[in-house]
Amino acid sequence: MKLKMRFFSFPAILMLFLVPLSARAQQMTATEIVKKTDDKFRGEQSGYSQMTMTVIRPAWQRTVEFKSWSKDDDYALTLITAPAREKGQTFLKRKSEMWSWNPAISRLIKLPPSMMSQGWMGSDYTNDDILRESSVVEDYIHTIEGSEPIDNRDCWKIRLKAKADADVLWGEQLWWIDKKEYITLKAELYDEDGYLVRSEKASDLKIMDGRFIPAVVELVPAENEGYKTIVKIVEVKFNITISDDFFSQQNMKTIR
Amino acid sequence: MKDFQLAWRNIWRNKRRTLITAASIFFAVFFALVMRSFQLGTYDSLYKNVIESYSGYLQVQHQDYSEEPILDNSFEADQEMLSKIESDTNVIDVVPRLESYALAAAGSRTQGVMVLGVDPEKEERLSDMNERLVKYKLTDEAINALRSEELPARTKKLLDLFRNEAYSSTGRMMLDLGISAEDSAVILPLLRKEASFTNNYLSESFPQGLLVGSGLSEFLKINVGDTLVLMGQGYHGASAAGNFIVAGIIKLPSPDIDKRIVYMPLETARDLFAARGLATTVVLSIKNFSDKSVISTARRLNSFVEPPLAVKTWKELNSLLLNQMEADSRSGMIMIGILYLVIAFGVFGTVLMMMAERRCEFGMLVSVGMQKRKLAKVVTIEMFMMGLLGVISGIIASLPPVIYGHVRPLRFTGEFARMYEDYGMEPVMPTQLPDTYYLWQTLVVLIIISIAIIFSVRKIFRINVIDSLKA
Amino acid sequence: MIIQVAWKNVWRNKTRSLIVISSVAVGVFAGVFAMAAINSSVVQRIDAAINEELSHIQVNNKEFRSSSDISDLIADFSSADSLVRSIPGVDATTGRIIIRGIASTSTKSAGVEINGIDVGKETEMFDLEKKVIAGTGTYFDADTKFNSVLIGEKLAKDLNIIRYILTTDAVARLDSMKIPSDVLAKLEPVYGERFTSDKKFNRELEKLLSPEEYKRYAILIKEAAWSYREGSKIILTFLDMDNNQTGAGFRVCGIFRTNNDMFEGLSVFVPAGELRTLTGIKEGSWHRLIARLDNTDLSDKITLQAREALPGYEVLNWKEIFPDLAMIADFMGQIYGVFMVIILAALAFGIVNTMLMAVLERTKELGMLAAIGMNRRKIFGMIMFESIFLSIIGGFAGMGIAEAVIEATQKNGINLMKYSEGMEAFGYSAHLFPTIDTGFFVTTTILIVMTGILASIYPARKALKLNPVEAIRTE
Repeated sequence: MKLKMRFFSFPAILMLFLVPLSARAQQMTATEIVKKTDDKFRGEQSGYSQMTMTVIRPAWQRTVEFKSWSKDDDYALTLITAPAREKGQTFLKRKSEMWSWNPAISRLIKLPPSMMSQGWMGSDYTNDDILRESSVVEDYIHTIEGSEPIDNRDCWKIRLKAKADADVLWGEQLWWIDKKEYITLKAELYDEDGYLVRSEKASDLKIMDGRFIPAVVELVPAENEGYKTIVKIVEVKFNITISDDFFSQQNMKTIR
Repeated sequence: MKDFQLAWRNIWRNKRRTLITAASIFFAVFFALVMRSFQLGTYDSLYKNVIESYSGYLQVQHQDYSEEPILDNSFEADQEMLSKIESDTNVIDVVPRLESYALAAAGSRTQGVMVLGVDPEKEERLSDMNERLVKYKLTDEAINALRSEELPARTKKLLDLFRNEAYSSTGRMMLDLGISAEDSAVILPLLRKEASFTNNYLSESFPQGLLVGSGLSEFLKINVGDTLVLMGQGYHGASAAGNFIVAGIIKLPSPDIDKRIVYMPLETARDLFAARGLATTVVLSIKNFSDKSVISTARRLNSFVEPPLAVKTWKELNSLLLNQMEADSRSGMIMIGILYLVIAFGVFGTVLMMMAERRCEFGMLVSVGMQKRKLAKVVTIEMFMMGLLGVISGIIASLPPVIYGHVRPLRFTGEFARMYEDYGMEPVMPTQLPDTYYLWQTLVVLIIISIAIIFSVRKIFRINVIDSLKA
Repeated sequence: MIIQVAWKNVWRNKTRSLIVISSVAVGVFAGVFAMAAINSSVVQRIDAAINEELSHIQVNNKEFRSSSDISDLIADFSSADSLVRSIPGVDATTGRIIIRGIASTSTKSAGVEINGIDVGKETEMFDLEKKVIAGTGTYFDADTKFNSVLIGEKLAKDLNIIRYILTTDAVARLDSMKIPSDVLAKLEPVYGERFTSDKKFNRELEKLLSPEEYKRYAILIKEAAWSYREGSKIILTFLDMDNNQTGAGFRVCGIFRTNNDMFEGLSVFVPAGELRTLTGIKEGSWHRLIARLDNTDLSDKITLQAREALPGYEVLNWKEIFPDLAMIADFMGQIYGVFMVIILAALAFGIVNTMLMAVLERTKELGMLAAIGMNRRKIFGMIMFESIFLSIIGGFAGMGIAEAVIEATQKNGINLMKYSEGMEAFGYSAHLFPTIDTGFFVTTTILIVMTGILASIYPARKALKLNPVEAIRTE
């Protein structure tokens, strides 16, 4: 069900100026909602963040801490700061290349596709999540299914159906987007047969570096019992000045 | 009693006939036993070799490991439990292994590899690792040097074809270069001089030293003494990375595995994968590996090995191999079945001929008053005696070839021989020494004889005195 | 004259003749059929390797097989191609792009070898089109704007594209196949449930059924529950000419089933054009040149010629690529030898015995012939001819029966389905279609007939030694 803006009727235009922001937003198309959410998610041009990632399995659990710098969608540098065994490892993403530096072996290696098919650092995030360039706006057809509250916040429920020729693994996704802040609070990812493969849940919304964002994201694969990955943002800085040169192999070795 | 004496005398009355009949049975037994002996011997050596060289007859594993052979399904190799297992009467040695995957990198090349952490000494005893070490390599220098030596022309030509080939045994090298057993005495020392390859095995005192497959060393262009990086994921998601040095190069028969295998000392592997004290499997080397004792040993050990661990037999671990063996055994039985078909006709033919020849004699006996039943009885006894004669002589005659075939077996030639050599096995087709199969085969022959007797007896009861006298 | 007498003799004593004829016939049948059965699985494997996987000859850049590097293309494909085509005996050629990559779905991924093919030429040279499972697609025939990929059944299973669901249709089908209703009732808890791997499905079945029921019906239940949604999508990821990671989504245009699990799990096929766009490999450049020959037996010879014509490349034939196939063919020869020796020896002794008995039985008759003046040579000849006739008749009878049985089993094959797991993992079909080539057939028959004849020499000689006077006097 698509809501259309009625451009050409005078009363409608009047409405545009007189009605408050939230009501106006009611008239955005599903695609526009998704685009706005996506843009916000990708953040500004550049950013810095400190995060922890906890991988939970039935028999064990592990937490990794790291710092991350990124610019546009093309460059990212990640430095692992804990635990001791992994400390000092860096990962560099340059467009669709992924490099890894491990001080324990003093080796810089370009990661081949085979290495990337396992989850990153043992988590449920796959190569696809990190490196693939699929666009949630371009590769899907969006429809608004209604509204539903998540954690006491009013959300749109939007269905994203993958376009037939898109290079995406998912058949479709369901997103619950907070109407006020355009944050995806909950997502369900389905395969082409309509079976749930993964659920994502964002929580702990707070203001960080002047923006209202979720500080915690949980990833739950549907297939295996007791599997979960939790990412927490400890600190974040948006729009920092950072040159392309920062994202160099040299820097991989020296960054602290 | 009288009947027995009569039968006995009858048999020796016409020696020729008796011997011919007994002979047909003799040959039946002889061929059946020899053929089955070859079949069983071949299966034995083939499968035994495959099982022993890798999986062993019994393994201790986490119960989920065989379904999902991942590092996270490893278990703590508890010393107490292991000692207890080792103290079992049938267990010789307890060999732990830690197996996982990693990315190997050298220079700018990378390759996914399987890493096997092993106890160097124990592994050596179990799977004869030293045999696998490359001992000769036909490098360019070696070939040039060999060219200038005294070698048969045929070998010199073949040198080019096998450039850069690595060998772990002289057997295979001799096959490839067309060196016969007679020439070997002269040629082997030359090969040793020019084409020897310095190699080392694993050692706990050299923890960073690895063994790599010859295919892997070719692909990554690394040699003994070069550095190799391994990285990947360890236990419970920890990251694994380390620098290592190539201590030695091994050659495994399967090119796919040879290109992707790395051996290292167990403790080194545990360090690399953050898997302290863990093992993915513990292979048990045992004394008596007959089916029965493998199963009973497994049962004994499982009584104190607690879940989630389990002691598994090679059959449970190797369902594919088992499937193959069963298919093979079936086809072997079909072959024997066909042999029996041919043999049975031989026996029937002879017996029927004998009956036909004695028609006159029988007719006469019946006409002077002998009851058909008695006649049948005597004839039956006669045939059993002849049968027994044939069977016993057949068994005795089969012993020499069976024993000889075991001690000095038939040798293969050609490609098949090469395959055997690659696997570190001698390219021979040995026989199996007399065992229960002797009983089974004899039983079948006795059944054939019985059927022949039944037919003969029927014939006796159908005798028309006058017709037979006229014969 | 002797011949006519011999012929009459043969039919005079029907029982005896029938016995010898049967012995020979059985020997021929046994030998031929056994070889046919064994031969067939080898022949099938070799045929499959040639028609589905390798074809006859492959030409690569010298580095390519060890480096698998995308840039190790054949330097000058068109001239290599015309050179190979000009060799007599070469039927067709085509090129392939070969790249290592990863295939992924939303839940699984697997390493694969991506083959970029010239679709038109491949249909001439390979049989894969025929191996596409019905209902999974139409090879590359469909006119579609999507990228297409052809994958093997094993890969489809590994990627969880093939599922197992006991739909109402599946249950109905099982019912019509005479699966007992109480077994079907036991499966009710999992009706409609989707299982993404056959291991999981097997485990459920083991839980719900008794061991005997599982043994008998599991395979059939799995077949009925086998489900695939046509046009499933997978993502192929690989490196391009600049060593950058690239990839795209591909629609599965068909799932092929061969008897070789390894092949099914590793090889995927994509129209070359699609790969060129993604990797930047130029038009006309290929990694491999493949040639198909008219006659497989000329493989070695033509390979040598090709090697001489193309000294800058690596030229290999199917035997060199899969040396274990060449070995198995060798092995078959040796096994055949041993087997035939034993069967022939058994046959020979059987015949010797029977004929010896026959001679003994005919002592009186033979003695009579000798007494009335038939000379030794003629008696010997007569018996020999009798044996020749018996052996030939037996030989033909055996051939006839063997032929008939082979025809009968050839159509439906001998199904060793129970052992299919082990055999297919190594690339062997568990469904044997006994075949034998005429050469074997004729050789076997001749060998056996000769054995029959040779085996008669001893009894014939024995006949000569009979003393006519004594002979007549025999009981």
